[in-house]
Amino acid sequence: MMEQETINAATWGWLLIPMLSVVLLSLITFFTERGE
Amino acid sequence: MMDNVTLITFIIYLVGMLVIGIIAFRLTKNLSDYVLGGRNLGGSVAALSAGASDMSSWLLLGLPGAMYVGGMNQIWLAIGLAVGAYLNWQFVAKRLRTYTEVAKDSITIPDFLENRFRDKSRILRVISALVILIFFTFYTSAGLVGGAVLFEQSFGIDYQSALWIGAIVIISYTFLGGFLAVSWTDFFQGILMFIALIIVPIAAINAIGGWNEVVSKVGDIDPGYLNAFTDTTAIGIISLLAWGLGYFGQPHIITRFMAIKSTKEIPKARFVGMSWMVFALYGAIFTGFTGIAYYAEAPLENAETVFIAFTQELFNPWIAGILLAAILSAIMSTIDSQLLVSSSAVAEDFYKGIFRKNASQKELVWVGRIAVIIIAIIAIVIAQDPESRVLDLVGYAWAGFGAAFGPIIVLSLFWKRTTREGAIAGMVIGALTVIIWAQLEGGMFDLYEIVPGFILGTVVIIVVSLIVGSPTNPTKEVREEFKVATKR
Repeated sequence: MMEQETINAATWGWLLIPMLSVVLLSLITFFTERGE
Repeated sequence: MMDNVTLITFIIYLVGMLVIGIIAFRLTKNLSDYVLGGRNLGGSVAALSAGASDMSSWLLLGLPGAMYVGGMNQIWLAIGLAVGAYLNWQFVAKRLRTYTEVAKDSITIPDFLENRFRDKSRILRVISALVILIFFTFYTSAGLVGGAVLFEQSFGIDYQSALWIGAIVIISYTFLGGFLAVSWTDFFQGILMFIALIIVPIAAINAIGGWNEVVSKVGDIDPGYLNAFTDTTAIGIISLLAWGLGYFGQPHIITRFMAIKSTKEIPKARFVGMSWMVFALYGAIFTGFTGIAYYAEAPLENAETVFIAFTQELFNPWIAGILLAAILSAIMSTIDSQLLVSSSAVAEDFYKGIFRKNASQKELVWVGRIAVIIIAIIAIVIAQDPESRVLDLVGYAWAGFGAAFGPIIVLSLFWKRTTREGAIAGMVIGALTVIIWAQLEGGMFDLYEIVPGFILGTVVIIVVSLIVGSPTNPTKEVREEFKVATKR
């Protein structure tokens, strides 16, 4: 049986981590800077 | 059936946008209202307006097309943009909002630079207006190519006719209503684009039989499509990531920062804007990627039509019509903002600035309108080539603005010692580097032109400012401005 191809972990990591991090950062600063 | 229904939804959509434009127009009282919405935009409107002006047909045609051709090795483009947009919101937005108000309430980029550097010679204004004219013409051309592809695919007409029809629809809309309250129409257009980019990839993945099925099919065609690091080079990855540098200098995006009601709205705008953008980018990525599997047997002639092809095949004609209107939205929301900036560059900066200092408002409005038509005609000529791709044209314009305006916007806001001479030299060198580098090929010249342009522009501004800066630089006035601009 042929091995099924998958998207490797490094690709998933790069696809998800930087972009979701900036959303998360903007959410965090939304709460921290709001009171200023 | 498809053609008629699509046509009807297009018309309903255009009338709807016009109504929003007219209502907002009635609320407009003066020029600042007109250009910046009277610096009165709430966070969410400013955020989606910046997003919709930013993400032209590029988002629905260009990025899915790149993913469809290259697979996962194109994700660097989206990563670069998301990070660049975030940095722009985080560091530039607030400072630009406050400083433009301190600097004699500047409402455009040429205005701001002239006031910030107290340039009485008008050289700064003229050079920045020239940069705006050159690169927005290419940008407008990208929008017209997008419109042509959309009309070609939707109504089955040839590219040339589609280009002219598309151009006439887009430009006349811009004339009639596009300039009216661009920000508000952008807001609705942003929402429509977002919805389209969520449901199209989901429907496409479903049609193939789930995500695992998509991955396995794509892997069967070429396992390289599944890996972000294959079939690319370090230069390739850096070039895609470097798109993020472009944000600091895009006039149609950063003017939205200036229009925001108060700096208190910025954290909210940043969060809304980044969420919108990141999920829209994911939608575009997965649309293109799924397209590789879906169109395995019958590859698309023009990769940039992948989003359009999906909407036509997977949805009933009414829904498809709305989704295609989202593309028209994307194109119009960008072109209207860009033509607005270009016409003010010609009317205010060139015509009034150099030729007729006492020109009346009525005269200026007409000069602006004629300028829009001339820019549109040049853009149509550039778009004539059926091989032109949205992504390439946007890439060139993006690099031009990023390199010419990016460094000077950042330095003028954060480095007191930046001088007028540094600003002039940096803008010229940044723009010229992009124009020349883009003509060269092979080896290091395959690097995206924004990288050398941005770096050289920055270095030149700093070096020239240090060399020609007088001992009294920064002047007391500038110190005071910085104090006020940073305190708020």
